[in-house]
Amino acid sequence: MPGYERAEVSAELTVVPSEHAGKPPREQVEAAKKAAGETGLAHEAGPETLVLAGGRREVLDATMEVIEASLDAGASAIEIKVEAEGDAPRFGG
Amino acid sequence: MTRAQTVPITPTRERPGAPVTKPGGIGESTTRADGVPKVTGEFEYSSDLSMDGMLWGATLRSPHPHANIWSVDTSEAEAMPGVFAVLTHEDVPGRKVYGMEIPDQPVLAWERVRFQGEPVAVVAADHPETARLALEKISVEYEVLDPLVDAEEAIKEDAPKLHLSGNVLRHVRIEHGDVRDAAAEADVVVKGEYEVGMQDQAFLGPESGLAVPDGEGGVDLYISTQWLHVDRDQISESLGLPPEMVRLELSGIGGAFGGREDLSMQIHACLLALHTERPVKMVYNREESFYGHVHRHPAKMSYEHGATKSGELVYVKARFVLDGGAYASSSMAVCLNAATFACGPYKVPNAEVESYLAYTNNPPCGAMRGFGAVQACFGHESQMDKLAEALGMDPVELRVKNAIEPGDRFPFGQEVPPPAPVAEILERVKSMPMPEEKEAMGRDLRELPGGVSNTTHGEGVRRGVGYAVSFKNIGFSAGFDDYSTARVTLSIEDGEPLVRVHTAAAEVGQGLVTLQAQIARTELGVERVAVLQADTRVGSAGSTSASRQSYLTGGAVKKACEAVRERLFERVREELGEGLGDLSVENGNVVSGGEIVLPLSEVLDEEIEETVEYRHKPTYPPDENGQGDVHVQFAFAAHRAVVEVDVELGLVRVVELATAQDVGKAMNPQALEGQIEGGVAQGLGLALLEELQIKDGRIQNASFTDYLLPTTLDMPSVKMDILELADPEAPYGLKGVGEPPTISSTPAIVAALRDATGRELPRVPVKPEQIVGIAKKPPDEPPQPGSAGYAEVGRLDERREQ
Repeated sequence: MPGYERAEVSAELTVVPSEHAGKPPREQVEAAKKAAGETGLAHEAGPETLVLAGGRREVLDATMEVIEASLDAGASAIEIKVEAEGDAPRFGG
Repeated sequence: MTRAQTVPITPTRERPGAPVTKPGGIGESTTRADGVPKVTGEFEYSSDLSMDGMLWGATLRSPHPHANIWSVDTSEAEAMPGVFAVLTHEDVPGRKVYGMEIPDQPVLAWERVRFQGEPVAVVAADHPETARLALEKISVEYEVLDPLVDAEEAIKEDAPKLHLSGNVLRHVRIEHGDVRDAAAEADVVVKGEYEVGMQDQAFLGPESGLAVPDGEGGVDLYISTQWLHVDRDQISESLGLPPEMVRLELSGIGGAFGGREDLSMQIHACLLALHTERPVKMVYNREESFYGHVHRHPAKMSYEHGATKSGELVYVKARFVLDGGAYASSSMAVCLNAATFACGPYKVPNAEVESYLAYTNNPPCGAMRGFGAVQACFGHESQMDKLAEALGMDPVELRVKNAIEPGDRFPFGQEVPPPAPVAEILERVKSMPMPEEKEAMGRDLRELPGGVSNTTHGEGVRRGVGYAVSFKNIGFSAGFDDYSTARVTLSIEDGEPLVRVHTAAAEVGQGLVTLQAQIARTELGVERVAVLQADTRVGSAGSTSASRQSYLTGGAVKKACEAVRERLFERVREELGEGLGDLSVENGNVVSGGEIVLPLSEVLDEEIEETVEYRHKPTYPPDENGQGDVHVQFAFAAHRAVVEVDVELGLVRVVELATAQDVGKAMNPQALEGQIEGGVAQGLGLALLEELQIKDGRIQNASFTDYLLPTTLDMPSVKMDILELADPEAPYGLKGVGEPPTISSTPAIVAALRDATGRELPRVPVKPEQIVGIAKKPPDEPPQPGSAGYAEVGRLDERREQ
């Protein structure tokens, strides 16, 4: 990720809603975004996609929270891409 | 949402050759190669690019500062003859967001728009007018939401969230010493509230570029930008392509000042080119340009300064709230800069600084010349004048008394590196001769406020003098791996030695191409130098911002030349044996002890090429108390402004600006003068004229008719005193020079206005109604006929008595 102040780790999560869950697809995505927002690390990156960026530990913990919230809401899958900066140690997370 | 109407073609574009120049050496005034073509209109800007078969791109933008998008219907636009593609966020194959620090800005909006002018769809058509008409055929169903436009409101806990994790993009806190204890020691305390409006970079060349598909799935982009490689990285992520399939070449740039550090039309043009398999050109018009780039952060600042009776600063408290607008851009770094520069270049034993950066539904803000230091400088210099007045001291004497020195520590904990001639530049600028003060009555109108508008013949005109001093970090800070790459080739062409210099550094009008040639000329002793067009075929040079390119790319070119020279000498020694003594290159010959050893033409059967990276020493992020070796180099400037004010009409004539600036080494004195004069003009603009008027998130003055820029009629003569105090860490001892002229010229002018009028003037730009005392800031509503009668503003004779 380019820029001045790059995060040590970023995780991009795309929620795949289920058509057969109790909640409608939009609410499943909203549940994931709400959980992501509460971590303080999140930004939207598409209609069903969000990015968590920060230090390694906090991003990984936040990722688990978002996955759990997504599954609880009925999502059928969560696609995840985790990226670490090559020179991440210099940034301290 | 795409339909190609012709057989795909694979266009090619001829690469422009690099002109061979004969520059002067380091320290000589060297005329820039692009100077004459720019003046005669022959220079090719990116907006002039053209190719056979080229399509025109256009952007549909949100008319609302805050709205939900319920649907986008492109079918009618797609059906128009001459329309080749209509794209929405669904057509972005890779990452749908981009950003320099945080990828939070949609390439094309999907469910929500967060600022007026946010791109929603793009069109490619065979004529710009067809593209524009197609935009009108796109139907977007919006649900308009209340915009959140007050940064103070936005950072409150109960404010509606504009982004998932809230509206506080960054909060920096600096704790230095103990302000609470120190407050008891202060004999004099002054407080102030200050505000800086939203300035625009107002570059003359609008955003533009030409994207050319390569026929193999990749794309070439000819573009005016400040940072080719970071553009490329963001573009390739959104296109879903590896970086090597996205190649960028710099095109002619009509100014930047930070406003081209972010992407504008880059991804859009590439998307359209890849969809249509045709070259696509995009050029913003002037109005669109105001929506298409970031601006300077508006700031509200609260200050408290405590000092002893004799004028020693005891403590400073400062609180900043900066409005970042809808998306992050480079706001994180601006927030840190504002905090680290909050106290000014002074010895401050105790400090407490809070800097908040808020998301709002205002236009996004980001990099602009001065980058956080501009706002801070207006605050701390206004406070120093207020403190001087409270102490009954001369404002320059107070500054000199508290001037920081090498070996001191800034409030953010970093030791002040040498040279730091704060007191010296203040004393020098004060000792410059004052401009003659002619009798106001009977003067040539052009020498009076209001000029030939014939508003005064000298009555009501008062003169004022003001001073300010500033400092600014040079280069990227806080742990960023800041480097530049240079490739230098020494060869024989047309029977004569030639140096080719290739970097990715953006020439934005500051004279970097000439500087690179001067360095090569100096280091390799060769008269002919060709600087190749900047592109991504060579490694990153970093951004043309933070006044860093002379240091970083200049350093890289110097280092590459040294490597080439070393290999040249190895060849000579291999050919003639050791024992030649110290070798050098002069006038195309290898020389030892003043004698020619070999002409270069006899050594360079094969060219010599070296590619190097150059880094400045590392910096570090601040700790939780805002302490650390955050910055690498500091540049200092002081300004004196002399103004004349028509105190009845609020009209101002800046009579003269004088400056003393430490530049380390004047690499190209002519270009240096140009940088200083240009920077001062931008500072004058912020002091008196330049502000994007935003109401409820909407820009009110997106034109050069209504956004007021200083012209030659507004600019005074500029007296300069250039100090060359070498920085031992920097190549040639140089310091970056681009930003300091902008920073303290603004508060110097405002100080002079206060001197002339006696008014507080806590906000820039200062408007006539503030100068005559009608309002402390511009009215929320524009005046209506009859709305500003005597009943509201008071009678003229009463106002005079105030």
